This record gives sequence, C-alpha cells and structure tokens, in this order.
Amino acid sequence: MILGDFGTSYCKFLDTGVAGAAPEIVATKALGPELRVDLATGHNGKRFAGRFVNELIALARGGEALIAEDSFLLLDCGSRDIKFVQYESGRLKDMGWNAECGASMGFTIELLERYYDLDFRALAVPAQTFSVTCGVLGMSHIFDAVISGIPVAEAVARFVKGIAINAYRFARSPKKLYLSGGLCANPLFVASLPCEVVPLGRFVLLEGLRRAMGQESETGGKG
Amino acid sequence: MRLRSHQQTRRGTEHWPAALAPCRRVGIVGVPPLEVIRFLNEREIAILDLDAMLVKADLEAASQLVPRVYCAILRTVVVNALYLELDAIVVDAGPGKCDAAFHVAAILEESLAVPVIRTENHDTEGFGTPIARGRLPLLEKLLRITAGVQRAVSDPEPPMACEPGAGFWGVPPRDFSILELFPDTTHVYGWSRCMENKTPAAHTLEAYFNPTVPTVFFAQSFCAKTALARYLAGRHPHALYLDVDVHTSSSAKAKIEAFLELSGVAR
Repeated sequence: MILGDFGTSYCKFLDTGVAGAAPEIVATKALGPELRVDLATGHNGKRFAGRFVNELIALARGGEALIAEDSFLLLDCGSRDIKFVQYESGRLKDMGWNAECGASMGFTIELLERYYDLDFRALAVPAQTFSVTCGVLGMSHIFDAVISGIPVAEAVARFVKGIAINAYRFARSPKKLYLSGGLCANPLFVASLPCEVVPLGRFVLLEGLRRAMGQESETGGKG
Repeated sequence: MRLRSHQQTRRGTEHWPAALAPCRRVGIVGVPPLEVIRFLNEREIAILDLDAMLVKADLEAASQLVPRVYCAILRTVVVNALYLELDAIVVDAGPGKCDAAFHVAAILEESLAVPVIRTENHDTEGFGTPIARGRLPLLEKLLRITAGVQRAVSDPEPPMACEPGAGFWGVPPRDFSILELFPDTTHVYGWSRCMENKTPAAHTLEAYFNPTVPTVFFAQSFCAKTALARYLAGRHPHALYLDVDVHTSSSAKAKIEAFLELSGVAR
C-alpha cells in the first residue's frame, strides 16, 4: 500500500508493502497528474487518492505512534500552515490549525535561505526578534532592518526567531513540545523555540497514515 | 431595495399591535416575545426569519448600512431587510439577542421605509427542548429549531430522545454546512437550545453544558457570545472552541472532523 503526505512544497511517500522501506520525498511541483496513492493526507491529498485522512487526524495518530508519553504536545510546522495536537492522559485535550495567519512561514524561510544564499546551520539564535505572525507580512521587517544597516543574516535570523516564537505561542506556550515537519531540519528554527524541543522529523503524518490504516484493518474498514 | 428617503418622516418604534395588525408579511430578528408571535399567527400574518439566508443578494450589500467586519448574521439581516418586500420588521433588541441587534434595529429604523419595532423578550415559560435532545441529523435539528421561532407552539412532531454522543453549543451558524459533520446523536446547547425553549434570555440555560460529552463550542465571528463560547470551552473538560465567520473554511471543518474522531465519537 502506498501512503502519501501531500504538502505544499514537498510530498512524502511510503510503500508499506516493502519491508524496511524508507520514505521518499518528492518536490510537489514535480508530481505528475496521473499519480495515485492508496491513502493520502495533506491539503493536496484528495487529488491523488481515493481515501483521505485529514491532516490533524494524521498528525494526532502519528503522535500516538511515535511518542511514548501519554501527555504531550505535538506541533507541525509546514510550508504553508501550522497545527498542533495536545494529549493529556492519553486523551485529546486541545488542537489548533492556523491555515491563514501562520501563512507560508515554512515556505518563506526556505525562500529566504535561497535568496540570500544563507546556511541556517551556521546562524546563531539572535538576541532580538521580529514580531511576525505571517511569513509574507514578516518579510517587510527584514527589508527595513537591512535598510537600517543590520546584516542580512542577522535580520533573517530575527525573522526566523519571530516565526518560531509565533508558532510556540500558537501551541499554547508549552514547556516541552514535539516538533514535526521540514523545519525539524532547520537548527536555527529549532533553537529559536523557547522551550524543550524534540524534533520528530518530517514523516510524522506518514506514521499517522500507517496507524490509521492499521485501525481501518482492525475494524474491517468500517472506521 | 426599500431604503427610506430623507424627506420621509421617521416611522420607528410604534405600539406594536397597531403597527402589525394591518401587515401581511413581517420580518423578525432574533426571537420576539411569544405574544408578538401569537398575535401574528392568529392573524395568519406571514413571518420571515431575517436571521436566515432568504435572498441571494451578495452579503456585501449590507456594507451600505453596517461595517464589512461585523457579525455575518446581522449582515444577513440587513441584506434581507433591504431586498425583501416586508410590511414591518420586529427586532428583539433585549437580553435575548445582543447589543449589536439593538444598534442594527436603530439603523434599519432610520433607513427603511417600513416600521421597525423593537421588542425585549423576557419570556420565562419553557416549552421544552426535545429537538435539542433528540436523534436527528444536526442540520435538521437546527432547521427545526430556527423554524420554531415563527410558531407560538412547540414542534408538533419532536424526535425520539437519545443519549448524547456529542455536543454543539452556540447560536445557529450562518453557514449550516458545519452541521453536516456531526452525528445524529449530537445534543444542542447554548442559545439554540434557548430558542427551542422559547426563552432566549435564559442565560443559565444558555450557559449549560454536559461535561461528559465532547462538545464543539461554536462562535459566530464578531458575535458578543464568542466570549461566553470561549470561556465555557475552557471550563469544559473535552471541548473544541471554534470561531467561524461567513463561510466554514476547510480547516474549520477538518478541526471538527478531527475533534470528533479523536474523541471517539461515532458517526
């Protein structure tokens, strides 16, 4: 069975029929229209599969599969949006999905790295931050800072820290959070989150699909 | 469109029986007092619920009288009032509705060529809430509850009672598509339950929730009741607070779907 997490910038696939197979990452813009998978999630997913699991459910199921604790907060920072689920004593306690005001933050961070030819692995967490709630609107802070003489790398780092703090507050300012999504690989972003962070990588939703698939088979596909 | 010219004399709030007696079509906003509804029913005067979407005109048409960033239900009221042929409008502008309706009533009173009658519903006689607690698709429940404001009697065929599988707390949403996501065993709470009970100002009933039932606390954006919705959601041990404006976004629908599934609510 092929599972697909169809993100805005990248799609992740897992073939569960191949023992030990690693997930694959494909740029969304490289997908062909004829592609079909068995079970999908992600805001592009309905176009490519007959069966679909919404992103919040996939995230929650992924958290259940990957996190040993029964009380946790799992935050997913994607290219386009941010979402979280919070469990307490094994039960869903809270959730959130910001598809509008958190718009395009992951996408913008990647765009800035390429545009300014930066390496986020080499940037330190700045002391100051920009107050940003949206990737697109936040860029004007960078341009203003650069005009005022602040080095580009410092300005972008402040922007990334601002985005991280915004995501942290959206997730109810936890003491500890599990992080999902492509930004797990961005050390500046991870270090800018003002709490204990456990990065889980970018395949959490695929694990959620795998778990949802298992639950379907347990119930004879009747959900 | 039935705007009043500035030369016309103001025809605002009048003694309502005299104003309503000659009418054939009356628009209502909120839940006017039972004696008003009974008066209209006895004379077979048609009642149009202006809180509901009755005309196809763009909501933007309301912007000539109220701000664009405003309660979508009251913007709908304004559009209905502008486009429907009505003989009078009765606005419940008391504690059973909201302050915003009070101000909209004043604006309509100044702007329209028909009488706008302000009432305050303090009815306390409960008619019961069998629809809110029955087994029925939630969409149909809310349709029947909202239709009930046009009658001075209870629903003639209430559904069978059922144990609650989920809860929907709040006012009837402007976009009813949100209701399709819930199971038939969803019980209705909040102002919608007060509507069915014909006691829209019963704030104790409005604030009631069942802590054992996973409940979506629905808030219509820019409605004063958003504060109560969020507050009660914070007190409920298993709640989702949801703020929706004109249309229900796909992420809002996904939140409800996820909340219900992850809460173990069967569809």
